[in-house]
Amino acid sequence: MSAVPALEVRGLVKHYPGVKALDGVDLIVRQNEVLGLAGENGAGKSTLLKALVGLVAPDAGEIYVRGEPVKLRSVVDAADHGIGMVFQEQSLVPNLTAAENIVLGSEGAAVRRGIYRWDAMRRLAQEQLDKIGSHIDPLARTDTLTFAERQMVEIAKVLRIEERSQHPPVIILDEPTSVLESKEIETLFAQIRRLREFASVVFVSHRLDEVLDVCDRVTVLRSGQSVGEVATAGAVPRELHRMMIGSTGSDDHYHENAAAPVTAEQPRLSVRGLSGKSFHDIDLDVAAGEIVAIVGVHGSGREDVCRALFGAEPTTAGEIRMDGKKIDLPNTRAACAAGIGYVPAERKIEGMVGSMSVAENMTLTKQKARCTGPFVAPKKQATLVDSWIRRLSIRTPNRDTAIGRLSGGNQQKVVLARWLVGGDIRLLLLDHPTRGLDIGARSEVYRLMRELAASGVATVLLADSLEEAIGMADRILVMNDGRVATEVACPSGGKPSPLDLVKEMV
Amino acid sequence: MTAEEVVTAPRRQSRRGASFRDAGPPVALIVIFGIFAALSPQFRSIDNVQNIVDAAAVLAVVTCGITFVLMMGSIDLSAAGVMGASALTVSLLVANNRNDNDFGLLGILVAVLLGCAFGCLSGLALVLLKVPSFMATLGVSAIGLGVATLMFAGVQPNISDAMLESWAIERFLGFAYLTWIAAACILVGWLIQRYTRLGRYAYAIGGAEEVLTLSGVRVKPYKIAVFTLAGAFYGLGGVMVTSQLGAGLVQAGDGYDFSAITAAVVGGTLLTGGRGGILHSAVGVLLVMVLTNGLVQVGVSPYWQGGVEGLIVVAAVAAAVIPQRRRNQVVK
Amino acid sequence: MKITPRPAAAIMSLSLAAAVLTGCSSEQAGGEDTSASEAGCKSADVRLVGQVRNESNPYEASWLAGGDAFAQSVGLKQERLTYDGDSTKQQEQISQLLAGDTKCLVMNVLPNGDSDTPPIVKGADQAGAYLVTQWNKPADLKPADYKTWISHITYNGVESGQQIGDALATAIGGTGGIIALQGILDTAAAKDRFAGLEASLKKNSGVKLLDQQAANFSRAEALTVTKTLLTKHGDNVKGIWAANDDMALGALEALQQAGKAGKVAVVGIDAVPDAITAIQGGKMTATVSSDGTWQGGIGLAIGYCVATGKLKVADIAADNRAFFAKQFLVTKDNAADFAQPKSNPADYECGNVFNRVAGPLT
Repeated sequence: MSAVPALEVRGLVKHYPGVKALDGVDLIVRQNEVLGLAGENGAGKSTLLKALVGLVAPDAGEIYVRGEPVKLRSVVDAADHGIGMVFQEQSLVPNLTAAENIVLGSEGAAVRRGIYRWDAMRRLAQEQLDKIGSHIDPLARTDTLTFAERQMVEIAKVLRIEERSQHPPVIILDEPTSVLESKEIETLFAQIRRLREFASVVFVSHRLDEVLDVCDRVTVLRSGQSVGEVATAGAVPRELHRMMIGSTGSDDHYHENAAAPVTAEQPRLSVRGLSGKSFHDIDLDVAAGEIVAIVGVHGSGREDVCRALFGAEPTTAGEIRMDGKKIDLPNTRAACAAGIGYVPAERKIEGMVGSMSVAENMTLTKQKARCTGPFVAPKKQATLVDSWIRRLSIRTPNRDTAIGRLSGGNQQKVVLARWLVGGDIRLLLLDHPTRGLDIGARSEVYRLMRELAASGVATVLLADSLEEAIGMADRILVMNDGRVATEVACPSGGKPSPLDLVKEMV
Repeated sequence: MTAEEVVTAPRRQSRRGASFRDAGPPVALIVIFGIFAALSPQFRSIDNVQNIVDAAAVLAVVTCGITFVLMMGSIDLSAAGVMGASALTVSLLVANNRNDNDFGLLGILVAVLLGCAFGCLSGLALVLLKVPSFMATLGVSAIGLGVATLMFAGVQPNISDAMLESWAIERFLGFAYLTWIAAACILVGWLIQRYTRLGRYAYAIGGAEEVLTLSGVRVKPYKIAVFTLAGAFYGLGGVMVTSQLGAGLVQAGDGYDFSAITAAVVGGTLLTGGRGGILHSAVGVLLVMVLTNGLVQVGVSPYWQGGVEGLIVVAAVAAAVIPQRRRNQVVK
Repeated sequence: MKITPRPAAAIMSLSLAAAVLTGCSSEQAGGEDTSASEAGCKSADVRLVGQVRNESNPYEASWLAGGDAFAQSVGLKQERLTYDGDSTKQQEQISQLLAGDTKCLVMNVLPNGDSDTPPIVKGADQAGAYLVTQWNKPADLKPADYKTWISHITYNGVESGQQIGDALATAIGGTGGIIALQGILDTAAAKDRFAGLEASLKKNSGVKLLDQQAANFSRAEALTVTKTLLTKHGDNVKGIWAANDDMALGALEALQQAGKAGKVAVVGIDAVPDAITAIQGGKMTATVSSDGTWQGGIGLAIGYCVATGKLKVADIAADNRAFFAKQFLVTKDNAADFAQPKSNPADYECGNVFNRVAGPLT
């Protein structure tokens, strides 16, 4: 092993409005090693990776490639320095052949004067595929390949930078295992070990056992800082996890004082045997005023369960009852009518209409609340919207401001208010309600959730972090591979430890 | 989302060539042809088959052009204007009754180059001024019609150029020269689509433009080039209409923009981009022509034809997209 | 050609450029407000406006040329307006005109469709502008009910359809099969002209209508449709009846491509220059002329006469307020007269402006 690290990062800082995504990260990737990168959601992993391939310009700090300081301005720039990334959402053109994807952007001899030489292209691609010992037909259309095969194509594509930079490459794999089956994961790991022969690898995964399995070393990120480095030999997941979670302040971040005891005897929401494409046989009860969190790793199916409860995901079996009354499936209108509200994770895409005003967004679903007959009653709407802007202390210049111009926290409050204006909300499904929000805004959303619970609204929460789930929930459902693994009571004062939950999750 | 879609995507038999979902339009073509042939003996006569293919020539050339733009996920409504301008240009440059010009082939070349220039203009407006292709090409169409009207100046130019006139009249192996020109265009279009970076990138832009950018490909020049290429096809289309009608008409391209889009979509080149191609569109053109011809041949009343044709087109497109309809997919 | 089908696309976008142009032209107009009494404008103060769909077809181009010729004869200039077959644009142009000085304004307007006429008429009536409309108006809207809407001129489509039908029957010797190319089916022009053909068929019992198809007044569509019909009916086709000349010319191309040039008689309506040439050359049998040049001049002439006080609206006979104008069957014998459309100044003398009335519009 050579003494000069293949890649080194010192004191990297990146601010986003309201958030400090990277707060002085240090990282060393040695030559011919596999470095694991671990951290909770929001720890800064993805920002760091983007900075390494030139997609994000850091505010401060240095990146060194083989000892030389570099400025990475684009993906191409990074590739010229020998850094390439296999993206989490695969970055292949689906309607081109595998070969074309592999050489895309640096076709070399495969295209002369704009004319394709398919033979040369196939050879070129085959060279790359040979490097990883893959038997994929280079001329197969990419969208006919399986996910695992496409991942191999992507790795082969990234390996093109070896010729480009004339140096051993640094390959970054962002969550490569999240949708692979165990056999495919084994193949991938064999591949990673093979890559180590001539390259350095940065491996990012939620699954700590995998990280420990395939990596030589693990760097742990928390709140935008590197908080530790562990040699994997002899390490256990628990240890890593402790570093990832850290010892957070025990002040009442989650407003636990405001948590009201749950007294209802009959469940408000009652789910029996719900099955769909990615989840099976889900049983779930939520009482009025109760907050139930569903936790699980990426791919556990919890997002789909949440959508299914709102009727936005097809189901194959099972039933959903609200206060004992069965709901039509899958039918979002029936869900709305039954008093179910859904706050989607992709706020900007699914949660709001960015160009429309606060008032329009707030009254989008419960039209009746602002209308007289078929007509919008402007006065009625104004009074209604203004009252909710006050009650939720939404900071907006006025009700006619486009929602896209508000801060994330205030946007989220408007999205929440949409379900509240009708006054008939009985169950809220919150899918990552605090995603992308800063601490202050999070706290306000938590307070709001407590208030709603106290008023008798039942809540299903998909939390952004384990910590959040434990802090907010009265009860936690752990999902693993599409099934409910266990259910853990989580009362104020008797909170379970994250590690107990993690055991069930992986 | 990507991941999910892949996991559930059905495995297809062929990984290289056309997959089963591409088979819809050709099957529809054969079925519709078969039905008409059974209903009408005139329809299945050699004469009529030649007639259908001949009638498809101009539409085929225009559709070649539009297909590249559609593959890229953009839209092009400039065909009508570009064809009008090119029709007037060529009719004033070859031997005609308005002036003493007699440039022959050179005049045709100029008309095609004019089409390129208009296409380039659409591309530049899209790429540099960020005008959506819908509006940019609509504007270019208007400019084209304006230019054509200026050249028209109140008197229809009738051509007397022997070569250009012969294109519509002379036959080789039973088909008009225009039909062979159209066949050549389809071949050239297919070669461009299959063997040039321009064609492959046009396809890729429609598939996943961001990925190209992430791979360090500069997309803009290719977009401009695609519109320019399309313009060349429209220009040639305008020349061909002039040859057919024996005169340069401002309205030479009337309706071709939407017919070409219809033909392309019916053939399986979707408006969302990244699907289909020249050969698909060629099938679409034949389908549309067989339909219009067949309805006349079997004697459907002209009062019913428009509606019946529309119904069949919608049904054909619906059948073609069934295999890839996915839940919650928004169709605009 | 009276109906110019255009793709919506072109219409929408052309408006942009044209709107700028019209904006300019209405500014430079607007003469001084001399204290001319009601219906007593000085000749120099009269403002002449001719409005048609577009200048890109021979018929409407000749209309505007006729308007120019008349304007010149009285020492004025015609303002040419075109609205690209876009009803909204036509209304905008009209209201822009009416917003200016309207005292001595004379408009000769081709409304886009029947429903476009009432707002134009009402606007002109309120503003006191003199208006002559041609071709399109709803049946229950009558110039006699208005003060400044002087006349509505149109042509009897049934008559012209029949005239060429008869000419076609004669050309094929009274017996044999013909095919008909219809215009845009939901237009009055297409309906009337086809009704004329049906009347002619009744009279000429030896002539058989083999097939009828819509080719939407378009030369290109007529080409395709004719080729298809020729393969369908083969040598049975002795004649082709087209509802306008553009389609007749398309049919001629189809005949040439099918190697049947000269063997099938073709008739059309409108007398566009190419059709006249074809008739002179013996390729086409007949067409009907409404004399677009005259139409462009006469509307302005009637308005001018009233505006300058030489003609009083009250004196105009009721039958002349809305009338069918005379149309002319053009055959090889008289084609030369129509080859060079020219306006005859005598037609525009205030005493002669109603000379071509063929009958009241009922």
